[in-house]
Amino acid sequence: MPEYKGMVQPVRATPEEMRKIHIEPVPDEQKPQKALEYLDQIRKKFRSFVMAMESCTKCGQCAENCHTYLGTRDPNNIPTNRAELIRKIYKRYFTLEGRWFGKLVGAEDISLDVIEQWYSYFYQCSQCRRCAHVCPFGIDTCEVTFIGRQILHWLGITPKLHASVGAAMEKVGNHTGLPKPGIVDTLEFMSEEIMDEFGVEVEFPVDKPDSDIMYIPSSADFLLNPYTLMGAGMFFTYIGANWTIPSTVTEAGNFGLLFDQYWTQRGNVMRLLNAAQELGVKKIVWGECGHGWRAAKMYIPSLADRPVRWPITHIHDEIADLIRKNELKLDPSKNSKPVTLHDPCNYVRACGLNENMRTIIRAVTTDFREMTPHGADNFCCGGGSAILFDDPEMYQRRILLSKKKAEQVRATGVGKNGDGILCAPCSICKAQLYPMVEEHELGVEVKGLVDLVGKALVWK
Amino acid sequence: MPSTIINGVEIELDEDGFMIDPDLWNEDVARALAASEGIDELTEDHWKIINYLRDYFKQYHIAPMVRKLCKETGCSLKYIYDLFPSGPAKGACKLAGLPKPTGCV
Ligand code: SF4
Ligand code: SF4
Ligand code: SF4
Repeated sequence: MPEYKGMVQPVRATPEEMRKIHIEPVPDEQKPQKALEYLDQIRKKFRSFVMAMESCTKCGQCAENCHTYLGTRDPNNIPTNRAELIRKIYKRYFTLEGRWFGKLVGAEDISLDVIEQWYSYFYQCSQCRRCAHVCPFGIDTCEVTFIGRQILHWLGITPKLHASVGAAMEKVGNHTGLPKPGIVDTLEFMSEEIMDEFGVEVEFPVDKPDSDIMYIPSSADFLLNPYTLMGAGMFFTYIGANWTIPSTVTEAGNFGLLFDQYWTQRGNVMRLLNAAQELGVKKIVWGECGHGWRAAKMYIPSLADRPVRWPITHIHDEIADLIRKNELKLDPSKNSKPVTLHDPCNYVRACGLNENMRTIIRAVTTDFREMTPHGADNFCCGGGSAILFDDPEMYQRRILLSKKKAEQVRATGVGKNGDGILCAPCSICKAQLYPMVEEHELGVEVKGLVDLVGKALVWK
Repeated sequence: MPSTIINGVEIELDEDGFMIDPDLWNEDVARALAASEGIDELTEDHWKIINYLRDYFKQYHIAPMVRKLCKETGCSLKYIYDLFPSGPAKGACKLAGLPKPTGCV
């Protein structure tokens, strides 16, 4: 279903696929009533949501700050209007003025059409929090999107992409459905590649008991991002770490955050804690994944069903720390092409990884150029929250959603001679930008940050 | 659910045209899927990639890293795109009867 009454929508999971992730789809005629019930449940739990419902003054600040509106000029992609898709229902059923005056105060009856609107517009939002960053009242439309997607999920409406990832997480512990033999084979291949290109011996231990560090890579690295995997392996080898990758949870991401913050998100957290305990590790180090790091840093403590006994850090924290202590010998001339940094929104606006990325990139490249704006003010790549849909209608939307980012990259001039690097240290950003830099003809190659570190390491 | 009949056997496909049951794959199925991808004729290089993907999938139950596919078949990524316009994952894997890759890909 690519369109509903003129609105683009991602292909949705079949009822059978929904059952695999433990959801019994609600029949259409019951959906409106059920949606109200779920909304009522949720509003009683989340004050951030109630605040978004009650305190928007329609000042309009957020409009020009959302890349989805800038790219599509679709009024429903203005953050406050996106939230309004739920607010009008909230008003109608949960406020006095809405119950009495209805349409006069912008309230609307719940209907299937409204639910279909939710599906279209909550899956164009990338949950990037740029609207929250500029709202004078601190309203975070991302939280509204989270709740909208949760209600849709309980109704049985989830994109096929997200649902199939949820099923893969439960089956094998990662998004791409990588089983252990595939993990080991790919890592052996990475060792050979490192030997060929850098002449150093690097091993990738899998499920090694009594390791100090458990490294959690993104499973997308195993298909698409070889240098991110290689860079991590080289870094851990360089510092002489006793490290391992767990085959039961080879996944830095957690799509639960993006469509089901209950069962799906919690399941992945438990797998992680089990693996840490079984392998007897002392610390957990996270790989390059924006939403995954947000899920790890901000949500594990509240989702865990037992005390979390391990410090959890990001690989960028580890690398930046050693750079500051002067313990890594790096040769920035190994990365001498012009490079710019795309800040993954989740890092800079949801969990405080900002300066560390810059500490690293300045140490490993010679021609670094910042985008305008950057850091906490950055614009999303347009793929955030894994809206990486590839049916033709949604793919066209992705091109529009990345328009702002393309303008920013172009303005840095890094791709002028066709040999620039766009560093985007997040698997979703990478997956979005690989095709988008071609669509917008930016003259850059997309790389992770750990990729550049691997290349710059000077071995004794 | 869309499906297509090939040599009298009904082959079920998902919305993106990937086979639901990879065990039903045979060369005629690959040819039919090629046509749906706008590929007129399957050349020796097409088959080299398809066969590599199938062998790898049989052994590891997953598609290989794209870099490994390129290395083992001697085909550059650009050349793979020339052969399979939708790319290694969405084009070549489809013709080889592998499931559609999921996740951030
Ligand atoms: S900036 Fe905040 S208060 Fe202003 S319209 Fe947007 S959400 Fe409402
Ligand atoms: S979270 Fe990002 S994409 Fe979503 S409404 Fe806010 S600015 Fe737009
Ligand atoms: S995909 Fe990348 S840029 Fe966009 S929300 Fe995530 S981290 Fe942000």
